[in-house]
Amino acid sequence: MNLVDFANLLINGTVEGLLIALPALALTLVMGVARFPNAATGDFMTIAAYAGIGAQSLGSGAFAAAASGSLGAGIAVSVLSYLLVFRALRGRPPVASLVASIGIAFFTRSMLTLFTGHDQRTYAVPLVRAWNFDGVRLLPTDLVIAAVALVAMALLFALLHLTPIGRQMRAIADNPDLARACGIRSSRVLVTLWAVVGVLCALGGTMFGVKAVVSPDMGWELLIPAFAAMIVGGIGSPIGAVVGGVLLGVASELSVPLVGPSYKIAVAFVLLLLVLLLRPRGLFGQTASVR
Amino acid sequence: MSAPFSRRDVMLAGASLLAVGAFARVAYAQAGGLFRIGSLCPVSGAGSPYGSGMQKAIEIAVAEVNAAGGAGGSKIELFSEDSQTKPDAAVLAAKKLIEVNKVQAVVGTWSSGVTLAVMPLTDAAGLIEMNTSGAPAISTIDKKDLVWRFQATNDRFGQAFAVIAEKRGFKRPATMAFNNASGIGNAEGFKKAWESKGGKIVASVVYEPNRPSYRTELQQVLAAKPDVIVTGSYLPDSTIILREWYQSGEQTKWIMPGWAANPDLVKALGNEVVEGLISVDSVSNESAASYKHYEAAYQAAMGKGAASNVYAAMCYDMIVCLALAKEAAGPGANVEKINAKIREVANPDGTKVFSFAEGKKLLGEKKKINYEGASGKLDFDSFGDVTPDFGVYVIEKGQLVRRDVVSI
Repeated sequence: MNLVDFANLLINGTVEGLLIALPALALTLVMGVARFPNAATGDFMTIAAYAGIGAQSLGSGAFAAAASGSLGAGIAVSVLSYLLVFRALRGRPPVASLVASIGIAFFTRSMLTLFTGHDQRTYAVPLVRAWNFDGVRLLPTDLVIAAVALVAMALLFALLHLTPIGRQMRAIADNPDLARACGIRSSRVLVTLWAVVGVLCALGGTMFGVKAVVSPDMGWELLIPAFAAMIVGGIGSPIGAVVGGVLLGVASELSVPLVGPSYKIAVAFVLLLLVLLLRPRGLFGQTASVR
Repeated sequence: MSAPFSRRDVMLAGASLLAVGAFARVAYAQAGGLFRIGSLCPVSGAGSPYGSGMQKAIEIAVAEVNAAGGAGGSKIELFSEDSQTKPDAAVLAAKKLIEVNKVQAVVGTWSSGVTLAVMPLTDAAGLIEMNTSGAPAISTIDKKDLVWRFQATNDRFGQAFAVIAEKRGFKRPATMAFNNASGIGNAEGFKKAWESKGGKIVASVVYEPNRPSYRTELQQVLAAKPDVIVTGSYLPDSTIILREWYQSGEQTKWIMPGWAANPDLVKALGNEVVEGLISVDSVSNESAASYKHYEAAYQAAMGKGAASNVYAAMCYDMIVCLALAKEAAGPGANVEKINAKIREVANPDGTKVFSFAEGKKLLGEKKKINYEGASGKLDFDSFGDVTPDFGVYVIEKGQLVRRDVVSI
């Protein structure tokens, strides 16, 4: 493998990793604050991606229409899930919420396929050739995807660490009872949390849809990689989710010349095993978590 | 700050995710007075562009058989279910057909995943299974010779790809295969046929489903500088691969199976990307009287031409073959006896017939017959597989234009 191939693989891995980091962030936020693994994360992405395509065709092909449709649907489905289901399950063991989230996942996907069918959809984005720097290929769409993901992450960290609501979120994550004793109204904080989850899912779903194709199972298929990214990074740690996603993406792409593309996913999971064996908390499990 | 979740909880979470989706076992079925046939077409799901036409073709054939006085003294009773193109849904539907409707044959399964999931049920119950799936494994798993395939195997598709690549003067082919029985079957079939012609494959890649990007896989293949890339792929992955290939600015030709390179692919990518792409699909027996007769009936029933759905013609032939075999086996014959007659009524040596009524008449005169189907000649080999002809379509300005027909 020469340097050019290496650079291309590195670029692919980073972009794929950033794409996975968005749902991983959504997972890890819910894990840290609401304290259960939200198996419906992937299907929130799917719903948002479909809504984006629907809005785009209504808005005569404008990508702004797609983005706002997708964001609106992502926030709506996420906040509604909280208000209608997860709020009622607060205080129960996390498994109750987990099973409920699997139920929401199946329900939303079935409702979606009832109306849209199983055909694949694509976003109408102009196809542009890659910029070629002596064999190192850089796709403008990939740059946009990476930029959107990075800006979203920066905004999320600003929200968590620079705003009162973010501080309250971290307080609830740290100790819900103490937070309540201090007068933090958790319902308002949690609605904000689920709205943020909706935004992350919408961005993830739309970016994935732009890069690949939109199908009813796309979000569900992304759930396992997102889980892996969250666990590698340390459960509940936003920075960990991002680093975990990129690390798994880059590792699996760089392994291709050694093990071939069929086994690159396995390599990502070997890495996951190694992290769990050597550092069971995950990379950022303790030091830089939300709380 | 403590972890919000113990490791035990995470394990439990994983276990409950895995627990979603387990299957039960099988029971037996028996023959009734009528000749009961179950259809299991992909009316919804990935096969939905074809499923309703397939089911309609089955209904057309059943009506024809019954109008001719039935087969072997009994009329056909048809029970229709939707496979949803999903193995799990298809298994439930097949169980219903077998246990509740007591069918003697299950016909019309489309994707290899569905057929492979339904086969253990029909096999355990000793029933005939007829499908339009391509996976080579279907031939070898079928130990009792109860499974009949009306579509070319992926292996034969691969052979057709090799013939086409040679005809078009390609010298440095590479393969890309979706990691399942069908995708790898296509690529392996091509490799075998190409290498037996003395050619060499410059690169081959097997890729995983559901990835956001296939740039790395493409990079590997393109590094070998192929002049054509032959795929065993499906629509979603082909969409992503071709988009990324186009964006990379490389100039290569593509040969793809017809179920991936279809009008939906053109719609997803636009005319420019897919210009010149070669799509290969099996073609119906278009010059035969049976096809002309079937085409008219299909056109009347569906309001569109039969050429857009090769699987429907296969389904039509399934019923005619079954009915002729039942007629040859005589009144009261059990599934085993009917099954044993299928090759006898469809393979060469007998007088060629082109419809059920024609065949029934000759069988009544104790003559040997050879049904020439609407979908193909229908000469079943020792595995119960057929070898249709293949159409070579080139995408020109967004239209799939048939340029050639090849036989292997």
